[in-house]
Amino acid sequence: MQAIQILIDGFAISSLYAIGAIGFTLMFGVSGVLNLSHGAIMVVSAVAAWAVAGALPVGPFGGALAGVVTGVVFAYATYLLVVRPIQTSRTIPGEEKEIFVLTGTLIWGIMLAEAVAYFFTNNPKTVLPLISGVVMIFGERTPSNKIMTAVIAWAVIGLLWLLVNRTKAGKTLMAAAINPRALTLLGYELSHIYLLVWGIYGVLVGLAGVLLGAFLGVSSDNVGTLTASAFSIVVLGGLGSVSGSLIAAYVVGYLETFTAYLIAPSIRTVPVLLLLVAVVYIRPQGLMGRR
Amino acid sequence: MRTSRLYPLLALILLCLALLPFGVGGYILGLLTVGYYYGVIAMAWDLLFGFAGEVNFGPSFLVGVGAYTAALLNHYQHWPIWACLIAGSLAAMVGGMVLAVPALKLKGPYFGLITLVAVLLLQNMLVLFSGVTGGEIGLDVPDVLTISDNGNYWYALGFMTISGAILFGLSRSPTGLILQASGQDAIEASALGFNVAKHKMVAFAVSAIFSGLAGAMLIFYLATVSVGTVVDLTIGAQVIIAAVMGGRRTILGAALGSVLLIIGNELLRPIGQLATFFVSATALVMILFFPGGFLGRLLRPEGRE
Amino acid sequence: MTPLLEVKGLTKRFGGLIAVSDISFSIAGGEILGLIGPNGSGKSTVMKCIMGIERPNAGEVLLEGTNVAGWPTHKIARQGIGIVFQHARPLHRQTVLEHIILALLPDDLLMLRANRAVRERAEMIAERVGLAAVMHRLPRTLPFADLRRLELGKAIARNPKVVLVDEPFAGLTATEVGDFSELIASFRAEGHAVLLVDHNVKSVAALVDRALAMYLGEYVAHGTADEVMRNETVRRVYLGGKLEVAARPDTGGLARKPLLGVDNLSVQYGKAQALDSVSITVGEGEFVSVVGLNGAGKTTLFNAISGLVAASGTVTWNGQSLAGRSAAAIARGGIVQCPETRELFGELNVRENLDLGGQHLPKEVSARQLAWLFDLFPILQERQNQAARTLSGGEQQMLAIARALMMQPKLLILDEPTLGLAPVILEQLSKALEALRQTTDITVLLGEQNVTFALPHADRVYVLEHARIVWEGPPGRFAEEAGAGYL
Repeated sequence: MQAIQILIDGFAISSLYAIGAIGFTLMFGVSGVLNLSHGAIMVVSAVAAWAVAGALPVGPFGGALAGVVTGVVFAYATYLLVVRPIQTSRTIPGEEKEIFVLTGTLIWGIMLAEAVAYFFTNNPKTVLPLISGVVMIFGERTPSNKIMTAVIAWAVIGLLWLLVNRTKAGKTLMAAAINPRALTLLGYELSHIYLLVWGIYGVLVGLAGVLLGAFLGVSSDNVGTLTASAFSIVVLGGLGSVSGSLIAAYVVGYLETFTAYLIAPSIRTVPVLLLLVAVVYIRPQGLMGRR
Repeated sequence: MRTSRLYPLLALILLCLALLPFGVGGYILGLLTVGYYYGVIAMAWDLLFGFAGEVNFGPSFLVGVGAYTAALLNHYQHWPIWACLIAGSLAAMVGGMVLAVPALKLKGPYFGLITLVAVLLLQNMLVLFSGVTGGEIGLDVPDVLTISDNGNYWYALGFMTISGAILFGLSRSPTGLILQASGQDAIEASALGFNVAKHKMVAFAVSAIFSGLAGAMLIFYLATVSVGTVVDLTIGAQVIIAAVMGGRRTILGAALGSVLLIIGNELLRPIGQLATFFVSATALVMILFFPGGFLGRLLRPEGRE
Repeated sequence: MTPLLEVKGLTKRFGGLIAVSDISFSIAGGEILGLIGPNGSGKSTVMKCIMGIERPNAGEVLLEGTNVAGWPTHKIARQGIGIVFQHARPLHRQTVLEHIILALLPDDLLMLRANRAVRERAEMIAERVGLAAVMHRLPRTLPFADLRRLELGKAIARNPKVVLVDEPFAGLTATEVGDFSELIASFRAEGHAVLLVDHNVKSVAALVDRALAMYLGEYVAHGTADEVMRNETVRRVYLGGKLEVAARPDTGGLARKPLLGVDNLSVQYGKAQALDSVSITVGEGEFVSVVGLNGAGKTTLFNAISGLVAASGTVTWNGQSLAGRSAAAIARGGIVQCPETRELFGELNVRENLDLGGQHLPKEVSARQLAWLFDLFPILQERQNQAARTLSGGEQQMLAIARALMMQPKLLILDEPTLGLAPVILEQLSKALEALRQTTDITVLLGEQNVTFALPHADRVYVLEHARIVWEGPPGRFAEEAGAGYL
């Protein structure tokens, strides 16, 4: 029944959107960086997973792991090669640093996309699903992989919750999002905190990329739309709010799925974009954001 | 550099460029022609960013609106070129005002997002109505400015020169001064008696008109319009790179940056797809180490005793 | 004389906070009124309401009889009010003359040329404010005093009837203050009405005809500068009351082992001199007070010690220089600051705030520390699950201090802990400080405007005025030597 399909598909895609969006908003909340190379890192991770699984006898899990590791590597590369030099630069005036970070990450994203297209062409790649086969849910044949995607996504969200609420590092991270100056006064080195957040971001983005690659396939052409999509979800939910991004991811995921099934797949993003425009006009701080 | 030295230098450069068709082949002229049109778009972007302080991540929205309006009118209604150009500019201006409304209420990243979204929406709409617009494949444009390579080159050069003169003149005029003040510190500018919202609206309108007009003229050169050539996000990125590399707030730098980008892409053609990679890498290095861009230092005002 | 500017019943609320409550005053042409108050008194908000940067909730702002309250800023400016901001940022690529020309431009669209009359008038204004020699220079090449003149020039360019000046002398040296005062006085002579907004009466006393003192949004006193300075309520609000001889025996701080040494410390914010060759020492176990009004430089001094701002000069801690150490490292090394802004984690609750302070310590130590602090500040234990931003001002201050103490600091720096707090809270804080002194060997550096609060807890006192140390001595001698001229 189509309704069940929509329910399941929507849930799966929303879950993987959520991972990427949470990473994006966490990055902004803690370090103030809007990483416009977000989509590019996702694609690089997915392509790495595909390539490794194809070249080495490690199976889909090995490939997925390679993809996540790639995500971390490229996240740190983004931080150390692009973002930190701009933030610590003495030639860029302070009030323009934000714009330079945006432009810098935008260019970096283009570089990554072009590199992927060069080495791997821009044909869509599909990452090997972690589990093959189908499962019956309410009478619908569903690829097990879709369920796996949702399970993994929620497992990661759970781990993140534990990290943030139960570990010292996590609590420090959340505090940094609220008041970084206070942390310095309490003897915490912000530079260490930033390294931590980029690492966590790398894991989330890498995983999101790998899951997306298994679900829909990726190509270097998707880079722009993936970044725009994460950005949209995060603004919808409220920049910097993790719970907001989570909810918004499901709103967007389901809206897209409904559109794809009931109207046409080619315009799946249109209602989301329109919603975004409406939100920005009416309630720019998003669902859970505060002015 | 003093204006007294700048203007003769510019005149000399323009003269040389105008004489190029007599020594250079059609292929290079073609590249430069496109480069000049992008130059106008980049200059319009710099006016908005460098002066009004608004970062437009989707200049291709305005370009696309101008280009498609002109193309559709020419293709279906067979309007003459000049009418299509005017219509395209006006349509883009309306688009610019629509973008201006949230800009006046939103801060930094939110506005940037709206500009990105505008491009995506336009792209989607064009693809959705591909029956009319030709979608990804594009639409052919029956009229062209001229068939000769030289002619097209001179049209483009002339367009860039006139647009550059207007935009540069505006940047150095009292209006440019007010825009700069508005972009840097809106409250301070208000306290000096300026209706910041009004001036920013005008900046948007001007930036939009030139972007749209450039887009419209471009399609009458290419004789075709498609999503990939005028509405892509990468076009916006190229424009931003050109303006930042050339030098923010110099207007002229944006034009220089565009031409350099085109030349750069061309010189790196032998390495195929990596060309864009290297150009982008160069741009990144530039913004990290030379944020003022090529002309940033050169055109910096010196002041005197 | 009909007043040029009349403010009646001005009120401004921000959410639940009443920033300005029923303020009224008037200024006639040829008069200078000083609007005085410490941080948080609402004086800046009054100024913003007059200029239209904030919309008043109630009240009128009459400019020559026309009520401009609620008008947009640019209309008010055109109607005849000019403002000199404290922190203006000049445009980097325009000369001094071009800045003034900007101030003279009409609000028209698409002007391609400024007409000659504008340029001539701009040159005149430049001369008027003493910038004739530098009018073709760029702001980045000018000293701070000239930048302030430029701001004044822009504000008076169109000959407004009323000029508002925010913190006229902040960052200026003594001679520069004199020059600038003369300039402002010359406007009064021309018939303008001038409103000076500042932290303290003393610095503007020579210039103003009358003064109005505010505290926590309300009117406190009004009269000549002298009258306001001597007013009982004003002195209580600023100094905390009558200066009593401190009940602390003179122990002679020099006999102790020096813990913190500050030598010739200077700080510049852009071009403004925020701290000028300041030297102080703090001995082990001492309670040292640095007293001074808002804006004197206390916060800058503390931030320089804590490594939060760049400074020239040396800071020695336990015999070693702190140069090159990060702010977080300095905090971990034993110097913990509790800043004026408190910097709490608003969304986290009291317990979580405290825990973050104690995270470096082993679990048992931090547990003991927490228990001790709950004993010192019982109200925090009561409210431990409440979000920090929902606490009252006094409770927040206690939380800030407690959180700093969780780090087991060797030197605790307290920046204006009493700011904006009610007297009964001050008593609790005072008791807590006393308990600290009796039961621990902590060293405290206390920065305060409220001298009555600071003196009983001081072994030694420094007076900081206008970025310099102007007096040093035991609290007993403070009243006779420094107290009179303090306000």
